[in-house]
Amino acid sequence: MFDVIVRGGTVVDGSGAPGFQGDVAVKDGKIAAVGQVSGEARQVIDASGRVVAPGFIDPHTHFDVQLLWDGAAKPALEHGVTCVVPGNCSLSLAPLKAADRRAVVGMFQQIEEMPPEAFTTAFEWTWEDFAGYRAAIEKGLSINVAPLVGHSVIRLWVMGPAAQERAATPGEIAAMQDLLRECLDAGAVGLSTSFVDLDEHGRPVPSRYAQAEELDALAAVLGEYGRMLQVVPEFYATDITIARIDQLADLSIRHNIPTTFSPLFDTLAVPDNAERAIARVEEQFARGARVWPQMQTRPIDISFSLLRPSLFFARLPRWVRILRQPLDQRLAALRDPETREKMLADLGPDGGEAMFGRLIARGGDACPRALVGKTLSQIAKDRGQPAGLALIELSLENGLDVAFLSAGQGHQVTDRIGPMLAHPLVHIGASDGGAHLASFSTYGDTGYLFSEFVRKAGAMSLEKAVAKITSETADIWGLKDRGRLQPGLAADIVVFDAATIDREDELPVFDMPGDGMRYTRAARGVDTVLVNGAVAYSGGAYTDAKSGVVCV
Amino acid sequence: MPESALDEAVIVGAEIVAGHDGTAELVVRLLHPDGSEHPVLLDEDTGLKLMEACGASSLEDLYGQSWRRIVPDA
Amino acid sequence: MAELSRQRRFVTPGPGETVEQLAARAMPDQPLESAVDRIKSWNLHVFAMRRPPGLMLGSDVIFVEPPVTHA
Repeated sequence: MFDVIVRGGTVVDGSGAPGFQGDVAVKDGKIAAVGQVSGEARQVIDASGRVVAPGFIDPHTHFDVQLLWDGAAKPALEHGVTCVVPGNCSLSLAPLKAADRRAVVGMFQQIEEMPPEAFTTAFEWTWEDFAGYRAAIEKGLSINVAPLVGHSVIRLWVMGPAAQERAATPGEIAAMQDLLRECLDAGAVGLSTSFVDLDEHGRPVPSRYAQAEELDALAAVLGEYGRMLQVVPEFYATDITIARIDQLADLSIRHNIPTTFSPLFDTLAVPDNAERAIARVEEQFARGARVWPQMQTRPIDISFSLLRPSLFFARLPRWVRILRQPLDQRLAALRDPETREKMLADLGPDGGEAMFGRLIARGGDACPRALVGKTLSQIAKDRGQPAGLALIELSLENGLDVAFLSAGQGHQVTDRIGPMLAHPLVHIGASDGGAHLASFSTYGDTGYLFSEFVRKAGAMSLEKAVAKITSETADIWGLKDRGRLQPGLAADIVVFDAATIDREDELPVFDMPGDGMRYTRAARGVDTVLVNGAVAYSGGAYTDAKSGVVCV
Repeated sequence: MPESALDEAVIVGAEIVAGHDGTAELVVRLLHPDGSEHPVLLDEDTGLKLMEACGASSLEDLYGQSWRRIVPDA
Repeated sequence: MAELSRQRRFVTPGPGETVEQLAARAMPDQPLESAVDRIKSWNLHVFAMRRPPGLMLGSDVIFVEPPVTHA
């Protein structure tokens, strides 16, 4: 008697091999059989007409805080993600002395845009060491977690405030090595560091003060465990990215460790950026290094309001001049009929329809709820105004605090990005799940992979796409028990409709502690998600299953 | 590589890009005296300050400006 | 071991190193003022960004030559 049989689906087993009609049987949280399975089960899931695949693995998230009250890392799990890697970009919630909590909370608020209530009302802060944090999240996991430990918090633990002032002494570096060993023993799957992030005071985060010798010493410890080093490099700066690739390659070869940098973006402003970086990665792999560039699937959007000056208007000289004025003068100018007339004249005969019509009104601020998600073109039509005037008046009516989104302004050309995502040395990831909460949604990149790059563009087969976000990710990260539908491995399974799997539109929701807002995207086309053999999501709803584990 | 007639690096291109955090950022292209070029990404604040320092009201106004305009204390 | 293509040379700053010290280290044959100017103009990712002016960090990549032209 099996616990579960997922019957009659197209089994895409994560290896990249062609899908086949078959069943997947589960017992004791593991995959027990794959193929034509006879026998009975306590629960049978009908997967006819659906794909049955290994659960997806998201290798770049910031769910560290959210996992303390939401063990499903919603909405990641409903998108078919069964394992997340938090602790990226040098920040984790352990090891962290009680006295240093305030400093790290500030960094998390800066980078993740997490409301302050998340740290004061949503959980009891009981731990200082990594084992304690692990125990705190393990109480309620519905999703699996493969946590990184952050270089910045390791530095802070050892050096205190000096972590953001100076290089470490040899004694301090040795103490960091010991602390990293302790974290790896307690379940960390690697170390993250950052070369770009700032804290809430605009100061570089502690990891950026490290000399090369310090990172080398920590990489040596990773080498003892064969674990991952993750870095976040400078963006759109190809020469720097290549320098970072070379630094990582040297560490990889010297200490025999995998390394990854995220994100790598494509941009038409620097058209050879990703291409040159990938070429360097190829050269370094040929030398024996492992330097995995993480590339996200989703395009990057620009959002802005008239509350703050934005470079979005950089091609409109008069608009730039007006919006750069102090608030009271800006308001007066925007209300002045003569000035408005000139501003509208700058937009051309269509009144700004071509330039602004596709902007989307966003919620989560002063924007009237009824307008959230509508295009400025629709709003303008309803108001009987040209788009440019609607932009100004709607903003004025709401204290300028109406955010607009200009979708797909970077990393947006499918024909360029598809072949890169399919490249054997490009690691699909960099979702940033759980971060940038008040700016944009970081969920549903896997759905977008299938809808945009498999179905629409044909950049890769369904089987290849599944392999990219399951077995290949597990192999890169050394997650030996995950990523394939293979007897003996963990029964992380997603059942989805290949014809419809996608991400829904971005919407504001108020489900953060203290009714805090974040942007999310629901899943489309995902029927059922099993985590370690238990159904965690089915028919559009989360179950009570708490079968997630810290996996290594 | 052809030498240019420049004494110092100047801006020869400017374009708005979508920043990693959803803001509009500025990529400027610098031409160096030895004829080489490279892009520099400026965050929104730095980009706006550059436009202000140059008295620029459009991206094209940045063309020909010295790299020193980008660095506050240079 | 496979050979790497030529890329732009860079160094990382030593502990507490100033731009003047780094420029003198990287370009000992150049007059200091000119060397500092060059270092700054090649490294706007460091010298233009939000941070106390002039602060260099141990993890920074500092280029010590202009960009290499790629065909």
